[in-house]
Amino acid sequence: MKISRKISAWSLGLMAAVSMMSCSSDDDSNDSGSSVTEKPFALSLAIQGSEGGFTYYTVPFEDVMEGTLSASGQGIEQPGYYDFTKVDNTVYSIGGLDNTDVSAITQNADQTLSTEGNVSLNESILDLVKADDETLISVSLPSTVGGVVTFRLFDANTVSITETVELPSSDLHSATDAVPAYSGLRVVGNHVFLSYYMSNPTTWATEYTDQAQVAVYSYPELEFIKVITDDRVGPIGGFNIKSGLEVDEAGNIYAISHSNPANGFSQSTKPAGILKINAGETEFDQEYFFDVEAAADGHNISHLKYIGNGKAFVEVNTAARSEQGTWSDSPLRSAVVDLNNFTVNYIDGVPVHNGDGRRLAALYNNGYVYLCIPEESSIHVYRMDTTNYTSTKGAQIQANFVAGFFKF
Amino acid sequence: MKHLLYLMSIVFVLLTTNSWAQISETANLSGQVTADDGEPLVGVSVVVLKAGIGTYTDVDGFYKLTNIPTGIYSVQFSYVGFTTQTVIVELQSGEALTKAIVLTEDVTQIDEVTVKGLSKVQKVKQEPYSVKAISAETYYNLSTDVQSILGRVEGVNIREEGGLGSDSQFSLFGFSGNQIKFFIDGIPMDNYGSSLGLNTIPVTSIERIEVYNGVVPVYLGTDALGGAVNIITKQNSNFLDAAYSFGSFNTHRAAVNGAYTNSETGFTVRGNFNFNYSDNDYEVLADITDVNGNIEDTRWVERFHDTYKSGMAKVEVGVVDKSYADQLLIGITAAKDENDVQTGATMETVYGGIEQNSESVISTLKYRKSGLFTEHLDASFYAAYNATRTHNLDTLTGVRYNWLGTPINTGSTEGEQGNRNDETLTDNEFNTQLNLGYQISESHTLAFNHALQYFHREIDDVLNPDKPENQFPKSYYKNNLGVSYTFSPNKKWNATLFGKGYFLNVETSKQYDFGTPNVRIDSYKNSKNAFGYGLATTYFLLENLQLKASYEHTYRMPAPEEIFGDNLFVTANPELGPEQSDNFNFNAKWDFEPAENHNVQLEGSFIYRNASDLIYQRVTVANPQTSFANLAEVRTLGYAGTLNYKFKDWLRLGGNITYQDITDQADFVYNDYAGQQTNFQKGFRIPNTPYLFGNVNAGVDFKDVVIKQSHLSVNYFFNYINEYFLSWAEYGSEDSKKIIPEQSSHDLAVSYSLKDGKYNFTLECKNLTDQMLFDQYKLQKPGRAFYLKFRYAL
Repeated sequence: MKISRKISAWSLGLMAAVSMMSCSSDDDSNDSGSSVTEKPFALSLAIQGSEGGFTYYTVPFEDVMEGTLSASGQGIEQPGYYDFTKVDNTVYSIGGLDNTDVSAITQNADQTLSTEGNVSLNESILDLVKADDETLISVSLPSTVGGVVTFRLFDANTVSITETVELPSSDLHSATDAVPAYSGLRVVGNHVFLSYYMSNPTTWATEYTDQAQVAVYSYPELEFIKVITDDRVGPIGGFNIKSGLEVDEAGNIYAISHSNPANGFSQSTKPAGILKINAGETEFDQEYFFDVEAAADGHNISHLKYIGNGKAFVEVNTAARSEQGTWSDSPLRSAVVDLNNFTVNYIDGVPVHNGDGRRLAALYNNGYVYLCIPEESSIHVYRMDTTNYTSTKGAQIQANFVAGFFKF
Repeated sequence: MKHLLYLMSIVFVLLTTNSWAQISETANLSGQVTADDGEPLVGVSVVVLKAGIGTYTDVDGFYKLTNIPTGIYSVQFSYVGFTTQTVIVELQSGEALTKAIVLTEDVTQIDEVTVKGLSKVQKVKQEPYSVKAISAETYYNLSTDVQSILGRVEGVNIREEGGLGSDSQFSLFGFSGNQIKFFIDGIPMDNYGSSLGLNTIPVTSIERIEVYNGVVPVYLGTDALGGAVNIITKQNSNFLDAAYSFGSFNTHRAAVNGAYTNSETGFTVRGNFNFNYSDNDYEVLADITDVNGNIEDTRWVERFHDTYKSGMAKVEVGVVDKSYADQLLIGITAAKDENDVQTGATMETVYGGIEQNSESVISTLKYRKSGLFTEHLDASFYAAYNATRTHNLDTLTGVRYNWLGTPINTGSTEGEQGNRNDETLTDNEFNTQLNLGYQISESHTLAFNHALQYFHREIDDVLNPDKPENQFPKSYYKNNLGVSYTFSPNKKWNATLFGKGYFLNVETSKQYDFGTPNVRIDSYKNSKNAFGYGLATTYFLLENLQLKASYEHTYRMPAPEEIFGDNLFVTANPELGPEQSDNFNFNAKWDFEPAENHNVQLEGSFIYRNASDLIYQRVTVANPQTSFANLAEVRTLGYAGTLNYKFKDWLRLGGNITYQDITDQADFVYNDYAGQQTNFQKGFRIPNTPYLFGNVNAGVDFKDVVIKQSHLSVNYFFNYINEYFLSWAEYGSEDSKKIIPEQSSHDLAVSYSLKDGKYNFTLECKNLTDQMLFDQYKLQKPGRAFYLKFRYAL
């Protein structure tokens, strides 16, 4: 700790000297990398106190495949409940102790992390995604019938809210005994797509499982256009895992339906599957259907992360719906799916594991997916090769779970 | 009693006119007071009538009065349980007269609490338990309450969420919440409403507070894990005390307390009335958000939704000193409070519409008799029935407030804290305490306690009448049995061995198979038993050097909501057992006089606590449902020291310091997705808990300032809390760690009394240096505040 601080202080001095000698200021000061150990990875480690509270530490690391990864004496501390997501080269933390703050975590030249944020809300933000190069968009949903859907636009540079738009949640569904529960948000072109499932605000029972629904709003006006539905599958997404909608390079949206009890459904009435909304369109493609259950031995995909070239990293729930523990987000098996050829390839060497019941903290980088897998008594990084479907077990994690896995 | 004698002597002096001789010529009077068996008597009141001069005998029974104007006087030696003796002395200029006095026991007047001639506070302090007895007398003229007095006791830390009437948490060497039990005159306060909280009890209504640390005597029949606090109200037979104070933040506090006893018929009536009001509009440094939720500024603003109002009336009637009862009282208490809630758990959440109100009615019966059936048996019995209604209101929708108090319109249909609620909790509770003490012989005493608690709660939410968790009333029966045996072979040594049994029965109906189509409702019962034991002993190494050691293996039974859950997201845990702890205390106390007129009292304590099976909510990440479980293990090593110094009777200095190292000792933490996991915090200090704190107080008293029979006193209080981490110390970079900074606050009060304490005026400044003070999740407390208090005491 002390040594690294000395080095960074020394390197800052060196940087100053270098920049004084070389007058070209547009030269990115990356040349100081020779004296500073690069720490391109950042993990948001959640540590649980025995009293039940969590504290999150976002820590930079040089290597995630060796040794142990610990927040001891390092990392940005955030007590409360936090969710982490990365847009472009900035990690955003969303959460707090009893309010919701939104902060940008960025990497400094000395490879440390710094945080900046100016937003304090009395309401939780369910997700924060990229709307355009300058703008992020967040969504909040009501917990009572007759409430509002709230979109907030953020200036991506200053992390401040530029606009708050409230729209009636009755646009989404006419039920008077259920409220929309968040499952996915994406902006493609001049449309916002919001997926959700209906849930009783008191009992959390899901009694509307006969169709998939995605609400479409205009962007940047944020006016309600319509709800598109499809009865080939049940609702899109599930409780708190935020992976109902994914977008590929071309702007095609994939909508994942599983109706898993393990992800908050008290009933299911339709098969699982993946639907598609073609780029530029605002309707489900009736020609496209990824019959997940047929491709994965009757099992369902709960988490999906698009990695490129029509492929996605997924977590398959290996228990039949009737066998799943409610809200358990388990048991999961890691795989790569081809969204066009409808194949499922399991990754060798990754044990069947429990999910965290929250956003999948997976990193895709250079053909590899990095994910922290909880095992009997410890958590390890697994680096999974998405072309050969092999894996390598990496560093041990000194935390109770990993809320974010990023690379700057 | 001491107080009453003092008042009586003052009254006597007032009635005697022209009593003031020339002051130029004076004499001294001293001597020893003993009982007729030769035992020196401690705390005997010695009053030189007419001269209005008085003192008390010291631990060896000696008294000394100096600078008495020459003349012929009646000197009165009085002590409860002994016949008052008056002797005539003639004092000549420069004379130092010695007068030894032997008092004879008055068998008609023996009072159980004054067995060996110590003041009550002294007697409590000499018990083998680790106990602090704080006399309230020093505080009578201050604008203060029970809570702030407690906050100055070693090992005690009180965490307030704001100003007057705000929620607060009492902690004793790291134990808090229902791990510490509170009593008022031995009656448990567990389920009193917020209108009868510690910060509403006026100081003028109480005589003393006893804080039992870790090891609790059987007569307070309860399941306390970390200790107990017993608040003793004024027991005087005849008195009247009326006080009113007002000050900053539009704070008004009034209290009238009194008692009347007819010495012939034994009829007695006692009353306490108090009223508290404050706008609590003190300034805080807060983030100001704009309509979008961006923090546009951080500045000092006044709190705008924090009004507190409470009132209480208590009347007791009965008889005293009858053949069938030393005391038989029935009483009724009615209390009510209204509280606006300004913030959530942190200052980032601001409310403008949330209210909490409560109403309580308590009926009590108290009976006490020494020498029931046989002269060796003492009995006391208390019964209390209380009905408390708490009303939580969060119905303001469509509006959110920022720290400027500006309502910002939103389309939200929710309340400020989430789902709108208009909820009434109706609690009914019945408590009894039976204490029997039997003196087998001079050195063997047995004591027995039985305590019963019955608790019943119903919740009605008019906005969500179908909420499943409110459908099932909860009942809770708890029986505590305690037996103790005290062996006191000689004056130097005594020991008490005790055992306690805890028996709990709980009953409700509950919903099964939540979240599935098979949901059904069925009755649900549970019972738990536990047995604890302990030993407390004390030894006088020297007459003025006392050593104490005590140990208890103690339990806290789970509370109803911990066992039952709320039938929705907190599910019942039939396996839930009591929390338990092994508590050790070692104390040493030394009183000495390094020189004449200098009195020093030095006290040191070491405490060890090993608490396990602590009850916490299971952490669930994936699942919205949770339950309580016996999860945590915590070890506390604590050191505390107290030093008090007195010079003559006009200068007092005192202070205490507490260091507590409270570390997490659990091997595992539990959560729903991974089950038992390594506890990465093991061995580290638990977060958001002060570990080093202390208090200093200083006081000077001057008599006859400007006007005769007047008193001028200046009191100063200093409170210090070292900085501590809001979360676990080990993790995170230093610059990102959330820290509660070091805090020190200074209070200063100047009191002026006329007619020997009959009329009192006090000007008080709290937080003199206007420091920023925090508690809990960095909630800011009031800055500098001024209070003026008037008090009339008869």
